[in-house]
Amino acid sequence: MTAIDVRSGRLPVGGAQQVPLLDIRGLSAAYGELLVLKDVDLRVNTGELICIIGPNGAGKTTLLKLVNGLLKPSGGEIWFQGERIDGRPAYKVARCGITQMFQDIQLCPTLSVVENVMTGCHVWTRSGFLATGFQSRGARVEESVIRAVAVEQLNSLGLAGRASAWPRQLSWGEQKLVGLARALVARPSLVLLDEPYGGLVQDEIDRLSCLLRELTVSGMTVLMVEHLTDVVMDVASRVVVLHYGEKIAEGLPQEIRRDERVVASYLGE
Amino acid sequence: MMNPIAGTKTISPVAGRPNAGRYIPYVVAAVVVLSAPVWAGAYLVSVLTIVGFHAVLALGLVLLTGLAGQVSLGQAMFFGMGAYLSALLTVRAGLPAWPCILVAAVITGVGAALIGFAVLRLRGIIVAGVTLTVNLIFYYLVMSMGQVTGGATGLTGIPRLPYPRGMPYSVFIFAFVWIGVVVLLVFSLNVARSRSGRALRVLNILAGGGEDTAQVLGINTMKYKVSAFVVAAIFASIGGSVYAHYTGVIEPGSFHVQLSVLVAIMVIVGGVATPWGAIVGATLMIGITEVLRAVAPIVLGGPTGAYELVAYGAILVATLLFLPQGLCSLPERVRRRRRADDGH
Amino acid sequence: MEASTVLQSLISGLTLGCIYAALGLGLYVVYGVTRVLNFAQGEFVMLGGMITVSLCAWGVPLFPSIFLAVFVVSVTGAILYRFIIHPARNASGSVLAFLTVGFAFAVEGLTLLVWGWEYRSLTNFLGSSSIHLWGATIFGQAPWVVGMTILMVAGLYYFFGHTMLGRALRACADEPLGARTVGISPERMGLLAFVIAAALGAVAGATITPLTMTAYNVGIPLTIKGLLAAFVGGMHRAEGVIVGGLLLGLTEALSAGLMPGGYHDAIALTILLIVFLVRPRGLLPAHANIE
Repeated sequence: MTAIDVRSGRLPVGGAQQVPLLDIRGLSAAYGELLVLKDVDLRVNTGELICIIGPNGAGKTTLLKLVNGLLKPSGGEIWFQGERIDGRPAYKVARCGITQMFQDIQLCPTLSVVENVMTGCHVWTRSGFLATGFQSRGARVEESVIRAVAVEQLNSLGLAGRASAWPRQLSWGEQKLVGLARALVARPSLVLLDEPYGGLVQDEIDRLSCLLRELTVSGMTVLMVEHLTDVVMDVASRVVVLHYGEKIAEGLPQEIRRDERVVASYLGE
Repeated sequence: MMNPIAGTKTISPVAGRPNAGRYIPYVVAAVVVLSAPVWAGAYLVSVLTIVGFHAVLALGLVLLTGLAGQVSLGQAMFFGMGAYLSALLTVRAGLPAWPCILVAAVITGVGAALIGFAVLRLRGIIVAGVTLTVNLIFYYLVMSMGQVTGGATGLTGIPRLPYPRGMPYSVFIFAFVWIGVVVLLVFSLNVARSRSGRALRVLNILAGGGEDTAQVLGINTMKYKVSAFVVAAIFASIGGSVYAHYTGVIEPGSFHVQLSVLVAIMVIVGGVATPWGAIVGATLMIGITEVLRAVAPIVLGGPTGAYELVAYGAILVATLLFLPQGLCSLPERVRRRRRADDGH
Repeated sequence: MEASTVLQSLISGLTLGCIYAALGLGLYVVYGVTRVLNFAQGEFVMLGGMITVSLCAWGVPLFPSIFLAVFVVSVTGAILYRFIIHPARNASGSVLAFLTVGFAFAVEGLTLLVWGWEYRSLTNFLGSSSIHLWGATIFGQAPWVVGMTILMVAGLYYFFGHTMLGRALRACADEPLGARTVGISPERMGLLAFVIAAALGAVAGATITPLTMTAYNVGIPLTIKGLLAAFVGGMHRAEGVIVGGLLLGLTEALSAGLMPGGYHDAIALTILLIVFLVRPRGLLPAHANIE
């Protein structure tokens, strides 16, 4: 995983792919009796930045949990890179190349910043108890690779001096960047972001938008759930609107802005 | 119980060998301890040996509770399994001692894996209750299976381990146990600051982590929790086997729930977040036990065992109320207070 | 196996079950109000028995002895709450549980100091040592144990369901913040919960001693069994605790009666543990409001 290049910043067009990276078909989810997600279809192609918006309770976070494997769907299928992944436990889904940044970040308080990022490398590393306990050569090499990767990722996100700090010493915006770094060092094909803009001040918002654009330009695919619709319209290549668990609209940001049903659902809440 | 493990704070973004000089006090301490047979009397050597056995138990618990956040009160059971299995294999089957210890460790490990898979699906303090119950079941089983285990009177005539001529058996065991403690200590410290240690800390709910977070990072939480449980059990089993061959006599009362709780107290008092806490806790609690056992009945009268119980309870309560991170967190607190005084 | 053996096992199982149910009720009261797993509950039971025995040995009549014992043990429960639990009230459940463990150890040690190693016993309350019923022999104390448990359950139902204080305790358990706004102090309620649990334990201890004898170290195994039984039945409801206790008692007695050897303790605990692992939420389903 090399440092992110700064490119032109133009959004890629939703590609002419034969097989979508992520293919969600007829997905439904229920908490007991309550149906939270109803028959949702979504196709995400490589390099796209899809943003899911909708009022609270619309099922946005549930959708992410279904994709990353924390929840099992009650109906429908999820296909990723041509393989069916719904029903797999979350840690296996992570190994397929899907990572997430949480709404409340969830950094480990007993690990330093760089160590938190290093945990993101877990998916592509192998040393177990015996290897690390007895410090085998393979374990030592792997550890230095992990550390180098984590440090470089932090540097590229502008957190160079903060590696040995503790998470509680960082500002909320900085912690968010650490969470993003942790998701990125896993070398994912798909990054899930749960309300990444929450709690950020204006210049942090701009910076994050810039970062996200760079990510997609370099080939990463992003599936984002967000509340702040203005920001979303700037970065998304496509917007999906959920309302009470159903997809009510999908299209380019400009189209969505003008869509009557969307306006109604937001005004109606 | 949130405390960064000692040693991880010296990381710097620049990769490189950590300052070797900081190992000097530890090496000195190790030399002092390991040379005890030379300068200390037989009694002190035997006390230090007992400290060593408890330190092994406590180290396993630090890995399990401090890193992985699973509150287990079953170490005494695995200690007992190692003791009884090795004793039975050598006494009843006449097999040589070292392979028996290994076989006992393997059997205990398998048992621990089965128990772990069944029990570690649960979260929180209920795991402590369940492991305590399993420990009690083990005790009752051993008491009942008189034909095999000798029941309440236990097993006698356990053979000694083969040891080099020219040194007393007690010194050999002392050295073996403490070299084992050092090896396990280094093992634990290595695991703590490695990929496995980080994975355990991410899933450690007691320390602010979360199972969902861990899963999404690709960590198979069940496998890691059970692995930590099995590692702690194997530590305990080997310790138990050596203990059986050391004392030559074992009885079920030594592996009762009281021992599991005592090991937990050692870990809590020493500091649950670092393997050093196991050593500190074991030394302190055994030291207090010996003093009380020797002195109190003479000075104050009363049955032996009573003062220790009161002391264990009082120390546990005092630690949890006033220094919940344990003694090993003191240097950090002093440092922080000094920094605060300097007006940082 | 004869019918009379089975009957005898069933009746002693019922008696044992009542003991565990009484233990469980004490655990339930504390857990329900303060969310603390009180590992010292068994010590309250043990102390109740010990103090009653000593008072009787000094010539105090039976029922005043029990009364005094309950009083002393209740004070012990109050001490546990006021000086140990209350200062740590914001700590995690694990810390609080371990605090009770420390207290239990200290109580055990002090008991050993004062009373020594030996087992102590009481004569049956009515004097007769056994009763014959349908060919089965049961201990004379058994009806007292069952009766005590029934009284306890009835008393708790009335207290929690129909008195202001009881309802206040329930409010604290369900909604501590809301309770405070209505003027109920969780601290007072916590103290009350511990005192009630200690009193219940002491009564149970005094009633049980003629049957099972008591010594300084019976507390912890009793607590472990009581906790297991309570969680198997379901700690969220008093009925669950009672069902769990009866289940453990019956399993123990039936395995003792029907199987040779001394394995009944291990077997009963193993069976109940497996039941718990299969259904960690408890055998009885939760309902919308407790009790």
